Amino acid sequence: MSTETQTTPPAPATGSAQANASTDANGAILSIRNLKKYFPITQGIIFQKKVADVKAVDGISFDVKPGETLGLVGESGCGKSTTGRTILQLYRPTEGSVLFEGKDLATLKGEELRKMRSNMQMIFQDPYASLNPRMTVGDIIAEPLEVHNIAKGKEKKERVQELLQVVGLNPYFINRYPHEFSGGQRQRIGIARALAVNPDFIVCDEPISALDVSIQAQIVNLLEELQERFGLTYLFIAHDLSVVRHISDRIAVMYLGKIVELTDGHTLYANPLHPYTRALLSAVPIPDPLIEEKRERIILVGDVPSPVNPPKGCRFHTRCPLAIPICKEVAPEWRDVGNGHFVECHVV
Amino acid sequence: MGNILLDVRNLRTEFATQDGVVHAVNGVTFHLEEGETLGLVGESGSGKSVSMLTVMRLIPMPPGRIASGEVLFQGQDLLKLGDEEMRQIRGNKIAMVFQDPMTSLNPVLTIGTQITEALELHLGMNKDKARKRAAELLKMVNIPEAERRLDDYPHQFSGGMRQRVMIAMGLSCSPQLLIADEPTTALDVTIQAQITDIVKRLKNELGMSIIWITHDLGVIAGLADRINVMYSGYIVETAPVKELFANPLHPYTVGLLGSIPRLDEGRREKLTPIEGLPPDLVNLPTGCPFYDRCKFRTEKCLQENPPLMSVGVKHWSACWHYEAVREQRDAILGRKFMQPAAA
Amino acid sequence: MNPRPAWKETWRRFARNKPALLGLLIIALLLFTALFAPLLAPYDFSKTNLDNVEKPPSAEHLLGTDALGRDMLSRIIYGARSVVFVIIVVATISLTFGLLLGAMAGYFGGLSDTLISRLIDFLFAFPDLLFIFFIAATIKPGIVTQLRTIALANQWPWLTEFVRSGYADYLVVIISLSLLGWAGLARLVRGQILALREKEFVLSAQLVGVSNWRIITRYLLPNSLAPILVAISMGLGGIALSEGILAYLGIGLQPPNPSWGIILSDHVVRYWRTWPEMIWMIFIPFIIMAAVVFAFNFVGDGLNEALNPELQ
Repeated sequence: MSTETQTTPPAPATGSAQANASTDANGAILSIRNLKKYFPITQGIIFQKKVADVKAVDGISFDVKPGETLGLVGESGCGKSTTGRTILQLYRPTEGSVLFEGKDLATLKGEELRKMRSNMQMIFQDPYASLNPRMTVGDIIAEPLEVHNIAKGKEKKERVQELLQVVGLNPYFINRYPHEFSGGQRQRIGIARALAVNPDFIVCDEPISALDVSIQAQIVNLLEELQERFGLTYLFIAHDLSVVRHISDRIAVMYLGKIVELTDGHTLYANPLHPYTRALLSAVPIPDPLIEEKRERIILVGDVPSPVNPPKGCRFHTRCPLAIPICKEVAPEWRDVGNGHFVECHVV
Repeated sequence: MGNILLDVRNLRTEFATQDGVVHAVNGVTFHLEEGETLGLVGESGSGKSVSMLTVMRLIPMPPGRIASGEVLFQGQDLLKLGDEEMRQIRGNKIAMVFQDPMTSLNPVLTIGTQITEALELHLGMNKDKARKRAAELLKMVNIPEAERRLDDYPHQFSGGMRQRVMIAMGLSCSPQLLIADEPTTALDVTIQAQITDIVKRLKNELGMSIIWITHDLGVIAGLADRINVMYSGYIVETAPVKELFANPLHPYTVGLLGSIPRLDEGRREKLTPIEGLPPDLVNLPTGCPFYDRCKFRTEKCLQENPPLMSVGVKHWSACWHYEAVREQRDAILGRKFMQPAAA
Repeated sequence: MNPRPAWKETWRRFARNKPALLGLLIIALLLFTALFAPLLAPYDFSKTNLDNVEKPPSAEHLLGTDALGRDMLSRIIYGARSVVFVIIVVATISLTFGLLLGAMAGYFGGLSDTLISRLIDFLFAFPDLLFIFFIAATIKPGIVTQLRTIALANQWPWLTEFVRSGYADYLVVIISLSLLGWAGLARLVRGQILALREKEFVLSAQLVGVSNWRIITRYLLPNSLAPILVAISMGLGGIALSEGILAYLGIGLQPPNPSWGIILSDHVVRYWRTWPEMIWMIFIPFIIMAAVVFAFNFVGDGLNEALNPELQ
């Protein structure tokens, strides 16, 4: 495989560029309220009893507005991927509601949920694991079309070829298998599959972190183009704050199962309030030796505590340079400090 | 600084595979001064790791083969040494830290045992002395309660701590050269900041040289004195760090800088990806390996692979059209590069 | 991550393995013999001829005759038929139940997993051959009486005939071998599915709304094919061996059914004492049986290497 082919796709896909996803009262396409996802740790062979919970996501609330990109950033184990999967009901929430286009997904089951699936999709991190190695590219992209009875026969084939073109791949690739493609190309195939059902909302779960630097920008640009063209709404999950800053309108910072700060990208960079956000920002290297020379780093001590026994009070207090006595006792509230800038901290 | 510690000349490494011979490293020449930190930047398949594994003689042979070259370490050609002599150098004079701290430690031995082993073996210390030194080393890499933690097993340490332990082990015999192969890639940014912080401090304290292999231009910007940019087994550009970022003169370097978003830039400032894919290392083109993806290419690039040419003070670029790159890079990336006086 | 090798590539790696190729040849020969037994066998395998007993190999009787004057070659050819029949039926049953139950346990988890896994653990708690003997010996009289009763109650003369002819023996062998056969496969399949279930391509199928059945059949099973194939080909040798041993011990197939185990048990008793005279009467069936068992193992080994190139 020698060509990554063009990034600017030709001719638009059929009936897509409609951005009029239905919204709820707040004008949000997605409203998350007090979402929790605990994974039980069990013991015993025949009679399994729960001995503890991994509190992967522990009560988070936010809205996503139609057409925007909300970035969800955090370090490994903070629960950002679990959040994405719980929103899409790959994991059923332990508590809380996921209001998508006015319907609470957490209460939907079976056929109803399956129907909702055509409005929301996911792009995965590992392009080597996200495509069935035993299916051709054509079958992979056609799968959603078949499942939702969107297209059959010749129409289906045309739609698949069109989707390949939309993501900048050669439509002749239809009969090839995933292993014949490079990482970046596979990621494009995954994007084509997600687009097949004409979704309104896509969760991008670390979509570029497995790719080489020079390929990352190709995929970021593609995602941005597709968003403009089809009026997509993204939840963009990543650990790399530079990329999240680049692509997102607003950014939520997650730490140990909680969102600690949420605001627009510029404010987050220029005026971060939460001490964790500040540490995170200062730790992100900037590819410029002159800037790096002058930067002051906030080096956090120690490691992230276990989500099985998160610290009492504020979860960040064990590593926080600004912690005061109350932080050890009382969990801070999630509050709006103005202009939609949310933060969860006693000190600010 | 000043004395040359490591001098690599025309190094070529190949691997025999079922699909043919993979040309992983294709005539790499560079040197490292005492006390210098050299960044080796490239993507997967650029030969950055393989070239360093070759220097350390850690290439499995077969299928690997060192086709040519010299690796002069303090004037001694490492490629000509016997296995036993090479073992003496590894871990003693040159240490290496790898990307994955999970698999680099033996899970059934305590951290203490693993550190003291090297001390007893290479430096002939007795048990007590080695243990004391091991505790010192752990303190040096900011591991709290170092004495007590010597008796812990690797699984009782977090990823970041294990990487610090690996660095402590690497430093145990006070090597002159530390080769770090993407040591922070598997770690979170806040942990990465801890590690780079420690390495910078230790470098000054111990006065060693460092070769830091990475794909991340951000990490290396704050760490290196000089950078080699590698692409499909060639060094395509080398310059002091500030010069490289301010005045990149190879289309690939320019492309890399254009494709990474920066935290200090606003939303949706244009990213300029490098289109296409790197060449197949089995069938390398006779001309410039970057030809397929290059915006500056001409007939000449197809015919002749450009050698590294001096383009400034301590600045070399393997591009026939570096002058064109200098003139057009701002327009291409929509970014302003500074223009220090070129030689 | 290892991309699925193309069939050609897999075959190339398999063909490099000489014992595996030999194994494949032996298996092909076995199948051919079983299929065309009536055409290949020069004599009726059960026809006795007391004027022509214990003859060494000759042009007329290529492998000689036994104590009742039966043609050895014909007996062995028909024995192949028995063993192939047992292998095919047992493998089909084990495969069906093993895939289905293993996939269920692995994919749905929860109670179905607990029940199926405990059942598997229970079956594996005993030494396997011993367990098979035990089952065979226990169920045999039961099955025969049951079938007789059913035949009588329903006035089915064909069933009476079936029992009388000794074909019920096949049922006994098949049931006792399948009982354990499915469990081994199910355990393997469950493990494979558990490992694959969290893979992103399976999650993406769930997201798209693909049904559970389709996820199992199009996403999970095809991707666990390699180890399943290896396990099956290794398992087939075991089935062949078990059939022989059961017959040898007299709790499997019994005369008039043809089986290599029966030939062996007849001859071991009779000719061991007369060593070294007539010793081919023991060695020939023994070598053939061993060759078949090894053939399956060699092929399994070859498949294992061919499908998992990273092993080399």
